[in-house]
Amino acid sequence: MGLILGGDAELWQVILLSLRVSGTAAAVAFVVGLPLAALLVMSNFRGRDLLLLLSNAALGLPPVVVGLVCYLLLSRSGLLGGLGWLFRPAGMVLAQTLLALPIVVALSSRALAPFWAEYRDVLLIDGAGFRQSLLELARMARPPLLTVFLAAFGRAIAEVGAILIVGGNIRGETRTMTTAIALETQKGDLPLALALGGLLLLMCLGVSTVTLLLDRRA
Amino acid sequence: MALTIRGVTRTFPGQGRAVPTLALQPTDLDVAPGEFVSILGPSGCGKSTLLRIVAGLDRPTGGSVSLDGRVVTGPGPERGMVFQSYTLFPWLTVRQNIEFGLRERKLPEAEIREISEKFIGRTGLRGFENHWPRQLSGGMQQRTALARALANDPAVLLLDEPFGALDHQTRELMQELLLEVWAADSESARKTVLFVTHDIDEAIFLANRVLVMSARPGRVKAELPVPLPYPRDWTVKTTPVFAELKARLMAEIREEVRKAALA
Repeated sequence: MGLILGGDAELWQVILLSLRVSGTAAAVAFVVGLPLAALLVMSNFRGRDLLLLLSNAALGLPPVVVGLVCYLLLSRSGLLGGLGWLFRPAGMVLAQTLLALPIVVALSSRALAPFWAEYRDVLLIDGAGFRQSLLELARMARPPLLTVFLAAFGRAIAEVGAILIVGGNIRGETRTMTTAIALETQKGDLPLALALGGLLLLMCLGVSTVTLLLDRRA
Repeated sequence: MALTIRGVTRTFPGQGRAVPTLALQPTDLDVAPGEFVSILGPSGCGKSTLLRIVAGLDRPTGGSVSLDGRVVTGPGPERGMVFQSYTLFPWLTVRQNIEFGLRERKLPEAEIREISEKFIGRTGLRGFENHWPRQLSGGMQQRTALARALANDPAVLLLDEPFGALDHQTRELMQELLLEVWAADSESARKTVLFVTHDIDEAIFLANRVLVMSARPGRVKAELPVPLPYPRDWTVKTTPVFAELKARLMAEIREEVRKAALA
């Protein structure tokens, strides 16, 4: 407990890395996933239902499997081996982005669909292109989209399987809250693990609060 | 701009095992540039479907729509539309709503402002420019929707029961306003208008020509020219010519409404 209350430098590093990796992953997933969701909602191409089904099915994507696939991709002989992202925060961001992406696509398409149904005709008549339509829809669907972002962030910050494999839980480099908790539990330091767990919950609370406050002010 | 409709049909596919619905029988129609045509019919007769096809929002199952000889495949800037429901963007003010299409077309800011000012004036929205849609009555919202459609300066104006949700008095005011705005252009520059309604008085009062559509599946079953000169004001509704047209249209429509009720 003293370690936590004392604001130990190593602990701060773990906290900041967790926030940075999961925040970046959620943001990237959002920026990539929102237009994808809009495309699914606004167009009527063949295979659209299949894509929706896949994104919904991928809500249950097991983090360890994503971690394993990323590991293979990022390992030296892998397709993305040249990036040198294995056991680096960048690799962890990639893994968590893949985990958060289906959440963003599946839930955003739900959030945008009713607004598209209502405003499709007007947007088309007024000559709004894809970009403008997406912007207008996102503006109307802002409250539910905010929840989508928080859900994506929650998925990322809560998982341990993927970053454990891709990041390796290296002290001072890729150790995050969840990997630290897993480690302390295995070492038998349950009080420390519990304290870290409580802190993680507080972090999630903090992120939600800040996001919702920002929304209210806007 | 001349509008040509040739053999346009529309069948809606059945959901699951339901039988497909024929909404529109093969329909032909020619509308001359600057003509104001009302399409009158019972609800569900396919008149809105026809209008949506002309707008490019829906595809015909067969046949084609062309404007000055060019086949319509989607919405385009030469066509503007006003819907029955108030489809203003709730987060934009009256002025911003009117300017929306102009912004899309990336006109210079000064020109955008000049155009929106012009139509704020013409549609009687002065003093309401900075209101939000939710602060406006139904009539004022439809004025905004009309101004937004006009601001894009379309050669063809498509109106889908635009005053259908308004109370009687407001509706009559809006009809006069629409005619005023339409007639404000010189005769050669007037917009081609298709006006869908189920209100007989409204159809006669506005148009050069009234088309009557049959009950579903819709087709044009009768056509009546309206020999009343413009400018018109509410007093034409009390003339014998108007009364005679109304009697003939009522007879046509009653038959269709009865059929629709029995179907």
